[in-house]
Amino acid sequence: MENLDAARLQMAFTLIFHIVFACIGMVMPFFMVVSHKKWLNTGNPIYLKLTKSWQKGVAIFFVTGAVSGTALSFELGLLWPEFMEHAGPIIGMPFSLEGAAFFVEAIALGFYLYGWDKISPKFHWFTGIIVGVAGVASGILVVSANGWMNAPSGFDYVDGQFLNIDPIKALLNPAWFTQALHMTLAAFTATGFAVAGIHAYQVLKGKQKELHKKAFKIAITFGAIAAILQPISGDISAKDIAKRQPVKLAAMEAHYETSKGVPLYIGGIVDTEKKEVNYKIEIPNALSFLAFGDFNAEVKGLNDFPEDEIPNVAMVHYAFQIMVGIGGILMLAGLFFFFTNKKRKQWMRKNFFWKLFVFLTPAGFIALEAGWIVTEVGRQPWIIHKIMRTKDAVTPMPGIVFSFYLYVFVYTVLTVAVAWLLARQIKSLNNSPIQNV
Amino acid sequence: MIFIVLFFLAFSLLLYVLLGGADFGAGILELFSSKTNQDITKKTIYRVMGPVWEANHIWIIILIVILWIAFPAYYKVMVTSLHIPITLMLLGITLRGVAFVFRHYDAYEDKSQYVYNWLFRVSSLITPIFLGMIFGAMVSGEISTKNTTSFYTVFMAPWLNVFSFLVGLFFASLCTFLSAVLLIGEADEEGYPVYVRKATIATVVVVILGFITISYGYFSNILFIKGMLNNTLSLFLIFLSALCLFPLWFFIRKGNRINSRIFAGLQVILIISVAIVPHFPNLLITKETSLNIFENSAPESVIRVLAISLLIGGSIILPGLFHLLKSFKLIKILEKE
Ligand code: HDD
Ligand code: HEM
Ligand code: HEM
Repeated sequence: MENLDAARLQMAFTLIFHIVFACIGMVMPFFMVVSHKKWLNTGNPIYLKLTKSWQKGVAIFFVTGAVSGTALSFELGLLWPEFMEHAGPIIGMPFSLEGAAFFVEAIALGFYLYGWDKISPKFHWFTGIIVGVAGVASGILVVSANGWMNAPSGFDYVDGQFLNIDPIKALLNPAWFTQALHMTLAAFTATGFAVAGIHAYQVLKGKQKELHKKAFKIAITFGAIAAILQPISGDISAKDIAKRQPVKLAAMEAHYETSKGVPLYIGGIVDTEKKEVNYKIEIPNALSFLAFGDFNAEVKGLNDFPEDEIPNVAMVHYAFQIMVGIGGILMLAGLFFFFTNKKRKQWMRKNFFWKLFVFLTPAGFIALEAGWIVTEVGRQPWIIHKIMRTKDAVTPMPGIVFSFYLYVFVYTVLTVAVAWLLARQIKSLNNSPIQNV
Repeated sequence: MIFIVLFFLAFSLLLYVLLGGADFGAGILELFSSKTNQDITKKTIYRVMGPVWEANHIWIIILIVILWIAFPAYYKVMVTSLHIPITLMLLGITLRGVAFVFRHYDAYEDKSQYVYNWLFRVSSLITPIFLGMIFGAMVSGEISTKNTTSFYTVFMAPWLNVFSFLVGLFFASLCTFLSAVLLIGEADEEGYPVYVRKATIATVVVVILGFITISYGYFSNILFIKGMLNNTLSLFLIFLSALCLFPLWFFIRKGNRINSRIFAGLQVILIISVAIVPHFPNLLITKETSLNIFENSAPESVIRVLAISLLIGGSIILPGLFHLLKSFKLIKILEKE
C-alpha cells in the first residue's frame, strides 16, 4: 500500500471510530437529564434507575471519546504535518475553543457523576445540562474546522504563502453553519435511533419492560424530531455545495454532462470508465430544482472539470444514496412514531412496532458515516479545497501502513470490549430490582 | 501577547506534569506494591482523582493545540521526526484510559478485573517513559530536519538512545514520587506509613536517576546537558532544588501533608525550569539549527486571538476546576480549614 493511501485510510478509520463515541457522548447527556428531570418531578424510582444507568453509559463513552480524540489531535499532525503547519494557526481558533469546551464538559461531568446527594439537586441537574451543551458546542467547533477545509477563508493565498490571517473569519467560514446544523441533527438522529433500538430490543425480550419503554420514549422523541428536520437541513447543504463545490455535487449525483433541467438519479451503478450510470430511476428536472431551486437551472457535469480534480465518483455517489435513502426512512419512522403515540397507542403492545425500531438501530450511524464519506471523499484530491492537495500534505515518514494496522487492531478490540461492557451493564440493569427511595 | 501564550503553555505543562503525572504515578505505585497495598492505592486514587480524572488529561490536549497554533514550525518537526514514539505514547494513553473506566464502571466485579488492573498498571509505566523520551529527543540535538539519510537516522535514532531513555525513566520516577507524596495526605491510618515509605524511596530514585541522566549527558556530549551546566541560572536552580530536598525529606518523614506537597510541587517547578532555561528561547535543538520560539511563531493576528481565547477559557475553567475540587472535598487538606 502506498504511504498516502495508508495515511488516508488511517485518518478515515480513526475518524469513523471517533465520531460514534463523540456523538453518543454528545447526545446521551440530554437523554440523561430528561430522565433525571422526570425523576425530580414524579419521584418515580424507575426514572432514577434509568438516569443512573445512562450516566454510566455517558461516562464510558466520554472516556473512549476522549482518548480517541486525544489520539486524533496528534494524528492530524502525525499524518499531515504540511497541512497542520499552514492550517494549524488558521483553524486553531475552533480547536482552542473546543479545548475549552471539553474542559467545561469534563468539569461538569465530574460534578454530575459524583454529585449525587452531595450538592443541591437543582445545581446537580443543571451540571448535567452543561455536559450536554458543552459537548454539542465542541462538536460544532470541530465541524467548523472541517468546514474551513471545504470553504477556506480568513487568509490571502499568495505564492504558496498564507498571509493576513484572520482566525475569526476562518472560524465563521461559509460552510460552518450548514455543516454544523446538519451534523448536530445527525448526532441526535443517530444516537436517538440507536439508543431507542437497544431499549426496544429489551422490551421485546420482556425484561423490566416498564423501564425500557420509558427509556425508548425519551430517546426516540429526540431521534424522531431530528430525523424529521434532517432532510430540510440536508437540502440547505446541497444548495450550498452546488454553489461552493460544484464538483462534489456532480460526484454525489454521478452527473457527467453539463446540461439544463437535469434529472435526479435514484440508485444505479456508476460506470466510471464509460462515464455513465446504469440501472437508475430518473426523476426529471429534480436535480436542477434541488440544487438551485429552479427546474431548468444548468448543473455543471463532471466532464467539465479537469481530470485531476475529480474525486472517486462511485464512492461519493453510493455514499450519498445511502445517506439520503436512510434519511428518508428515518424521517418516515419518526413520523410513524408520533402518529402511533398520538392516535394508535395500541400498536405499542404489538411486536411489529418494537421490531421496526430494533431493525433501525444502526441506521442513523450508517447514514452519518456515509454523509462524512460524501463530504470528505468528495473534497478529494484537495485537503484544503483548491489550495492544498492531500498528496502534498502527507508525512514523509514511510511505513504508515503499519501504524494503520496497529490502529485497526487496537480500535477493533476496543469496540468489542465496549460493546461487551455495555451488554453487561444492561444485564445487571435487568437483574437488579428497582428500589423505592 | 506572545507572553500570555507562553504563560499558558508553561502553565498547562506544569499542570499536566503535576496532575497527569500524579495519576500516572498512581498506576506505577500500584505496579510496585504488594497485593493489599494495591487495593488501598486503587481505592484512594479513585476517590481523590475520580471526578477530576478526565480534566487532568485535557492539559496535554491544550498543550498540543497551543503548540500547533502558535508554534507551527516547532510542532511540525516534532510530529514528523518523532512519529513513532508519539504513536506509542498515544497507544499507552488509550489503553490506560480504557482500563481506567473498565475497572471502575464494569457492572460486575469478576476475573476480568485482573486484566483491567494489569493493563492499567503497565500502561501507566510505559506512557510517561515515552513522554520523557519524546522530550529528551526534542532537546538532545539528535533530530535531523534534512530528510535525506536513512530511515533509522531520521525516524529512530533521535529518540531510541540511552539519553532519551534515561529522561523517560526520570520522568516516570518523578510521577511516582508525586503520586506517593499526594497519597500521604489522602490515605487513612492504614495506608499512611506505606506512602511515607514509598515517597521516601521515590525521592531517592528521582535524585539518583537525575544524577545519572545529567552525568551521562555530560560525558556523551549531549548539547542540552552541556548548555545546562554552562548556564549560571540553571546551575543555580539545580543547586536550589538540591537544597530543597532537605526540607522535602524532613516533611515526608514527619508525614506533614501540606508542606510535603508544597515542596514536591516546588521540585517539579524547579525541574521544569532547569529543563527550559538553558536554551530559552530555543526550545527545539536539531542537528542543523535550533528553532527560536519567537522567530518561528505564528503571525501576530493569530497570537492575539489565541491569547484572548486562552484568557477567556482560563477564567471560566480554573474557577470551575477549583470549585469541583472543593465541593467534593477531594483533597482532604482543604477540609481542615
Ligand atoms: C443521521 C445522519 C444523516 C442523515 C439521515 C442525512 N445526513 Fe446528510 N450528512 C450527514 C448525516 C446525515 C453528516 C454525517 O452529518 C454530514 C457529513 C458532513 C456534515 O456536515 O454532515 C452530511 C453531509 C451532507 C451533505 C454534504 C455537506 C458538505 O459536504 O458540506 C449533503 C449535501 C447532505 N448531507 C444532504 C443530505 C440530505 C439531502 C439528506 C436527506 C435525507 C441527508 N443529508 C440525510
Ligand atoms: C479531526 C477531527 C477531530 C479532532 C482532532 C478531535 C479531537 C477531540 C479531542 C482531543 C477530544 C477529547 C477531549 C476530551 O478529553 O474530552 C475529543 C472528544 C470529542 N469529540 Fe472530537 N475530534 C475530532 C472530530 C470530531 C467530530 C467530527 C465531532 C463531532 C461532530 C467531535 C466531537 C467530539 C465530542 C463531543 C467529544 C467529547 C467526548 C465525549 O463527550 O465523548 N469530534 N475530540
Ligand atoms: C468525525 C467525522 C469524520 C469522518 C467520518 C471523516 C472521514 C474522513 C474520510 C473518509 C477521509 C478520507 C478521505 C480520502 O482521503 O478519500 C478523511 C480525511 C480527512 N479528514 Fe475527515 N472526517 C470527519 C471529520 C473531520 C474533521 C472534523 C476534520 C478536521 C477538522 C477532518 C479532517 C480530515 C483530514 C485532515 C483528512 C485527510 C486529508 C484528506 O484526505 O483530505 N475530518 N476524513
